[in-house]
Amino acid sequence: MGPVQLNEIKAVPYERSEVVKGYTDRSLHIDLTGNDIRVDPIDAAVKDRFTGGKGYDLWFMWQAVKGTTKWNDPENALCISAGPLGGTPGYPGGGKSIVTTISPLTGAPIDSNVGGYFGPYKKFSGFDVITLTGKADQDVVILIDGIESQIKIFSASDLPDNAYELSDALTRYFDEKKPVNISVVTAGPGAENTYFGCLNFSWYDAGRKRVRYKQAGRGGTGTVLADKKVKAVVARFGAVSMKSNQPADLEALKTVTKTHAKEINELDGKQNRMSLVGTTHLVPIMNDHDCLPTHNFKFGSHPEAAVIGEDVYEHIFDKGFDGCWRGCAVACSHGVKDFSPFTGPFKGTRVFVDGPEYETVAGCGSNLGIFDAHTILEINFYCDAYGLDTISVGTSIGFVMECFENGLITTEHTGGLALFFGNRFGALELIHQMAKGEGFGAIVGKGIRQMKQIFADKFNADPDFMQDIGMESKGLEFSEYITKESLAQQGGYGLALKGPQHDEAWLIFLDMVHNFMPTFENKAEALHWFPMFRTWFSLCGLCKLPWNDIVPEDNKDTKEPAKVMKHVQWYADFFSAITGKKTTPDDLIAMSETVYNFQRVFNLKMGTGTREHDTLPYRAMGPVTVEEYESRQDRYDKQLTDTYGMDISGMDTAARVAALRKERESQYEQLKDAVYDRRGWTKNGIPTKETVQRLGIDFPEVLEVLAANGVQ
Amino acid sequence: MIQVNDQPIEWKPDMTIADLLKQMSDVRFCSVVRVNGKLISSPRFDVTRIPDNAVIYLLPLVAGG
Repeated sequence: MGPVQLNEIKAVPYERSEVVKGYTDRSLHIDLTGNDIRVDPIDAAVKDRFTGGKGYDLWFMWQAVKGTTKWNDPENALCISAGPLGGTPGYPGGGKSIVTTISPLTGAPIDSNVGGYFGPYKKFSGFDVITLTGKADQDVVILIDGIESQIKIFSASDLPDNAYELSDALTRYFDEKKPVNISVVTAGPGAENTYFGCLNFSWYDAGRKRVRYKQAGRGGTGTVLADKKVKAVVARFGAVSMKSNQPADLEALKTVTKTHAKEINELDGKQNRMSLVGTTHLVPIMNDHDCLPTHNFKFGSHPEAAVIGEDVYEHIFDKGFDGCWRGCAVACSHGVKDFSPFTGPFKGTRVFVDGPEYETVAGCGSNLGIFDAHTILEINFYCDAYGLDTISVGTSIGFVMECFENGLITTEHTGGLALFFGNRFGALELIHQMAKGEGFGAIVGKGIRQMKQIFADKFNADPDFMQDIGMESKGLEFSEYITKESLAQQGGYGLALKGPQHDEAWLIFLDMVHNFMPTFENKAEALHWFPMFRTWFSLCGLCKLPWNDIVPEDNKDTKEPAKVMKHVQWYADFFSAITGKKTTPDDLIAMSETVYNFQRVFNLKMGTGTREHDTLPYRAMGPVTVEEYESRQDRYDKQLTDTYGMDISGMDTAARVAALRKERESQYEQLKDAVYDRRGWTKNGIPTKETVQRLGIDFPEVLEVLAANGVQ
Repeated sequence: MIQVNDQPIEWKPDMTIADLLKQMSDVRFCSVVRVNGKLISSPRFDVTRIPDNAVIYLLPLVAGG
């Protein structure tokens, strides 16, 4: 690769707004169609209602898009924010960025919470949030330079296509002497040619002297960036300290930061050991509890799962500090050095792989019948380098493999690829095709919802069967948990605003293992509180792992151990220390409830956001096939007889599958009713007028959207 | 003798994880333990025997991704 050549086409100096109590109170807007750059103040009322982070992103997106806007229309906005608490060095998980846009997969707002230094650097450069609208007429790179106080747009040609090399090249180009001052947001060729392109957010790993990255994976944010012809957005900033946010109470901030970090340092080694194994400890745990997606979510465990869990990756991960934010005590962003791919453009070279995390292991490993730690690493590497979401990739290929094994598609349709479960080369070949937008991979890259339509229309595949086994809801592919035996988690996925992603609610163990929420009302309460609290992390620019993946030793003695209220109080103290607003745990929930309901109304504005869109494929609820039923026959038979009082002695397996389905689908509808009621929504899943008034989001445009959907 | 969450507890031959948990209080949310560093999940509590001198930590909550 030759030296990077960039030609400056626009440069706008600006007066850097100081960060005060976590906020700059400024937004940066770049319209790529005319290279217009604008800095606006943020109203105090917006701050008060939307808090920051995802709240700001959604508010500015709402201003930018119409109800008819499609993901690839110029007015679609890609927003990136950091939140008022983001950028606190030493606070565990204290440096996240939040990305939103109208998703190519769902047609509605998608949000993604991601590590790397970009969000904090952007904020300390003077902007709480940036919005990118319009489309460039050539490939461009955007620089937000907080050291020189300039925004620059460059035309870019002959840059590396892949994010792995591009992040490195731009880091060194923009600050060769101090690469730690740079964070780069990139997509990749896969983002240009699929609907589930991700964004890579980088940081410079000073210990290893290399650029690392984490991914804003879900919903095609990278696809939108690529469609705008933006090759990269770069933030440059210098030294960061606990004073950088100008906290209202520096001593209180130091106290809560030290307290939380100290606890993690003491307990992580006794609990999940994430500083050693990341989230790969979840692989054996999910497998043992029948929750590890295997063969397109057909089963929840597999005898070979032991070779793709923490026992293996602990020995493969490169040793060293792996925080995706400065001083994070969790430090779970592990990677593998000197990995040599055996396919694709990096075949036979040595690369560094950032990952894998649990989701990638499950989605691109067990879900595809691939029980090989190194193949999973290779899939992980190419997905990141190409800018592909590993979750959508794994879940989509799992669907393809089951269609292939059932004869719904054949080698005639796949270009000769025999895509049976376990075909490692086939999976990798599909990924290379996705990146190029060629062959059968070009179809797979459109996601499951479109594949179902294409397979039915062009290949005459059975649409009903595909509806049952295609693991998508709202157009987004499922993340990697089996939910058949947890009604609450079915709600956690089906009622999630953006689609089935676990970051909104993860209730499997509380529900299925601990039976913590036996009634519909209990489940509805959990599907209120937990999504609200999890939302709060993305309002503030934080990671949720330090909240409940390391638990105080005395947590079991508290009134509500599932909520880990000691930590919730620390987060309230953290918010108080930075912003100066005396804050209680209940206040945190109230902040989220406002933004959460606004996002639901936003869905409604975009033509989703009603009951019919909260549906699930039946595989998320129960066994679709006779094979699945018979694999766990004792469990299902017992439920039919003991729970539902049926005499099943004269029923064959197919009849039992149908009987169970009727009951489970009915339960899910009852759950929807209970959750909507708890959230202050109508039976159709729409926030009532009283709810939006109570939350202070009863703007005329919001009321218009409600009225247009029959809510007066 | 075994160590459970840094506390000494008497070891008995053929003692399983399920046996251990029965004699402890407030283990409602314990669905996974580490025995000498190795994860053992609740479906195997009944059949997993604890070796003498084992170092055990109870993972108090599994919180997902």
